[in-house]
Amino acid sequence: MILVRSAQGLYWMSRYLARAEHLCRMLALQMEAMVDRPFREVHFGWSRIYGTMERTPPWGDIGLLESDEGLLFDSYTLAEDMTFERMHPESVWSCFAMGRENARQMRQCITGEMWLGLNLPYLRLQRMGIRDIWRTSPETFYTETAGAISAFTGAAADTMYRDENWSFMRLGRAIEKAQLTTSLFLTQLQLSRQADDSFDGDWETLLRLYHAFDAYLVRYAVQVEPGQVLDLLATDSQLPNSLSRMLGHVEEALDALGPGPDATASEELHRLAGRVSALVKYEWDGRHNPEPLLNEAYRLCQDLHDLVEATYFDYPLQDAPLR
Amino acid sequence: MESETGMDFANYDLAPAIFDEMFTQTGEPRDGTRPLHEALLRLSQEELGGIQERVTHSFSQEGITFTVYGDEEAEERIIPVDCVPRIVPAAEWEFLERGLAQRVTTLNRFLSDVYGEGRIVRDGVIPVDVVRGCPQYRVEMRGMEPPLGVWVAICGTDMVRTNDGYFVLEDNLRVPSGVSYMIANRKAVKAGLRRVYRSSRVRDVEHYGRLLRETLRELAPRGQTDPSLVLLTPGIYNSAFYEHMFLAGELGAQLVEGRDLVVNDGFVYTRTTSGLRRVDVIYRRVDDDFLDPLVFRPDSLLGVPGLMHAYRLGNVTLANAPGTGVADDKSVYAYVPDMVRYYLGEEPLLQNVETTLCRRPEGLEYTLDNLDKLVVKRVGGSGGYGMLVGPHASAGEREAYAEEMRANPADFISQPTLALSRAPCLIDGRFEPRHVDLRPFMLTGRETRTVPGAFCRVALREGSLVVNSSQGGGGKDLWVLED
Repeated sequence: MILVRSAQGLYWMSRYLARAEHLCRMLALQMEAMVDRPFREVHFGWSRIYGTMERTPPWGDIGLLESDEGLLFDSYTLAEDMTFERMHPESVWSCFAMGRENARQMRQCITGEMWLGLNLPYLRLQRMGIRDIWRTSPETFYTETAGAISAFTGAAADTMYRDENWSFMRLGRAIEKAQLTTSLFLTQLQLSRQADDSFDGDWETLLRLYHAFDAYLVRYAVQVEPGQVLDLLATDSQLPNSLSRMLGHVEEALDALGPGPDATASEELHRLAGRVSALVKYEWDGRHNPEPLLNEAYRLCQDLHDLVEATYFDYPLQDAPLR
Repeated sequence: MESETGMDFANYDLAPAIFDEMFTQTGEPRDGTRPLHEALLRLSQEELGGIQERVTHSFSQEGITFTVYGDEEAEERIIPVDCVPRIVPAAEWEFLERGLAQRVTTLNRFLSDVYGEGRIVRDGVIPVDVVRGCPQYRVEMRGMEPPLGVWVAICGTDMVRTNDGYFVLEDNLRVPSGVSYMIANRKAVKAGLRRVYRSSRVRDVEHYGRLLRETLRELAPRGQTDPSLVLLTPGIYNSAFYEHMFLAGELGAQLVEGRDLVVNDGFVYTRTTSGLRRVDVIYRRVDDDFLDPLVFRPDSLLGVPGLMHAYRLGNVTLANAPGTGVADDKSVYAYVPDMVRYYLGEEPLLQNVETTLCRRPEGLEYTLDNLDKLVVKRVGGSGGYGMLVGPHASAGEREAYAEEMRANPADFISQPTLALSRAPCLIDGRFEPRHVDLRPFMLTGRETRTVPGAFCRVALREGSLVVNSSQGGGGKDLWVLED
């Protein structure tokens, strides 16, 4: 039995940090791509990042980057926008700062190791700007920031008591990652459809983003085939961040939490979590076009979030049980 | 005072008019300070600099911050900490502890009296207008008697020392803060000076949370033995939020904001993820004005509608009780020695600073005539805001202040400018004396308890007498030694 505000703070902390981590990993790969990949792939990468985060670039549309000068010039601005822009709610800085702010408010609910693991990179990040990372190795910055969030998650797993605080953190992280993953897959499919030709590199990047390249080679062949990439990333139960695994985590976290004040709302939430998980687990196979299913999963993830809020955070006080 | 290898005190200034916490007037280390003094001399400038850096760094890492109101650039500011501890010998502490217990007992009696029969006023010990004219007097508390008659469960008394001994500067009886910095200073400094800490036989302060928990449990409504505790904070933007969070952790209590609490049928509940959970004791760090918008300020978003109703029914304890501000008002302060004699029939152990009330015409006249020599404070002020240190103010500042005093004389008191004691601080790689005070914390439940230590504040600016963190002050660890 924890405070609603604590539960909410931990849930959002996890969501923001998962978002920052995901964005950092995408940006790290994008920075690597800028070194030696074709213009079209770099362009694809930026479109994928903005599409996944459901944002538009500062000038409205990412034009095709057709020269070295244009590539570097635009990429600098896009990277700054997605990394350090404080007015941009989905930038790495904003997500990290919001995660850390929630942690600061909920510090009594997290361990000292977790706080240090978050506060130290925050203090570092606070002093940095795009110029500090751009000239040498920007991908290192993104990899280190993502690593810091991973380390924070590891510290949580290692040091946190497995109570409701833990479960709300886990729930927030799993819902965020499921939503980001469906959003990324949908963006990838839409961009690929719009592109005149399909590059292996676009799909390879996706595998690398999920640390799934080796698993892909073991399961399939050397040739990267988009349908198989999505199959692996969506349904593989052994891949740590596959969509089905994230949805499984949602179910586990809800089971651990138990019912909220309103038993009917809790049942509905559990049913919904089961439904979206079953959708990916059992209805994915054999689909020629996974887009409708992904759209449905994306919508259900949003509903899941709304129902978590209604069940645990915004329940009507007049009917709440007295403990 | 010189060392061949390490740091030295060669240029350390010992002004005869100012008490130095480490040295006698002849430059000899005082009783109890010798091990620390010798340890400091053995350290090189680099080693001591490293210790200072680690202490500062630990505060930054831990996020031990305070907020300066009106300073948008520095929302979270690290409180500066000096790594050289201040020493208080056992006998001195024993005296202070007795004096503080006497004082807080008196103030609790005073509060019961002025919200009850008002005998002290009737007997002419303190004028009625000083009590009832005090903005912190809460008529809503008339006739109330908190559990065990304890109005002030947590008291943080500001004390200074001069060549004439210790003085109480003010009693903080509403929501005194600083105890978390006392503990944080201790953790950081003892890690840096571990060997000398051990050999100096310093008394522990880190059990404060346990004592606070015992105290609050004793004050539970109707003598409940296993009450549910919460700490009520104004929220993350409050200057002492770090402390609230820290203390909630020490207490094992939930850290709640007003919006986390609801009053239902005369009882207070927290909103939890499983429903509403009953609360028995609230350690509130929200000012009276904001506690309950139905009783105090109607525009308060920090409080809990109906809280005072539950309190009046005796269903919840508020610590400290609402209305305690009347006993730490700067005008009422002047009467505390008389209160000790009146309620306890004893002579006060701790001295007050001579205080002139400007509400009296002769007091105003005296203060205006001597503005360049006095410290003038607003009776409702705190945190070092809005005070005038006459000797350090310009003629223009004094004149502007005098205008305000003439307009509202009852809002001001004046005191002589005290030569606060100084202690060595590490400033730019060398030892320099800086003015210090101390704020020990007293806890009152069934009995009065304290931990042997205090939040020691230090005016880090050269020559400054203002120790408040919001005004450029910092902190220092204070070591009370075993007998």
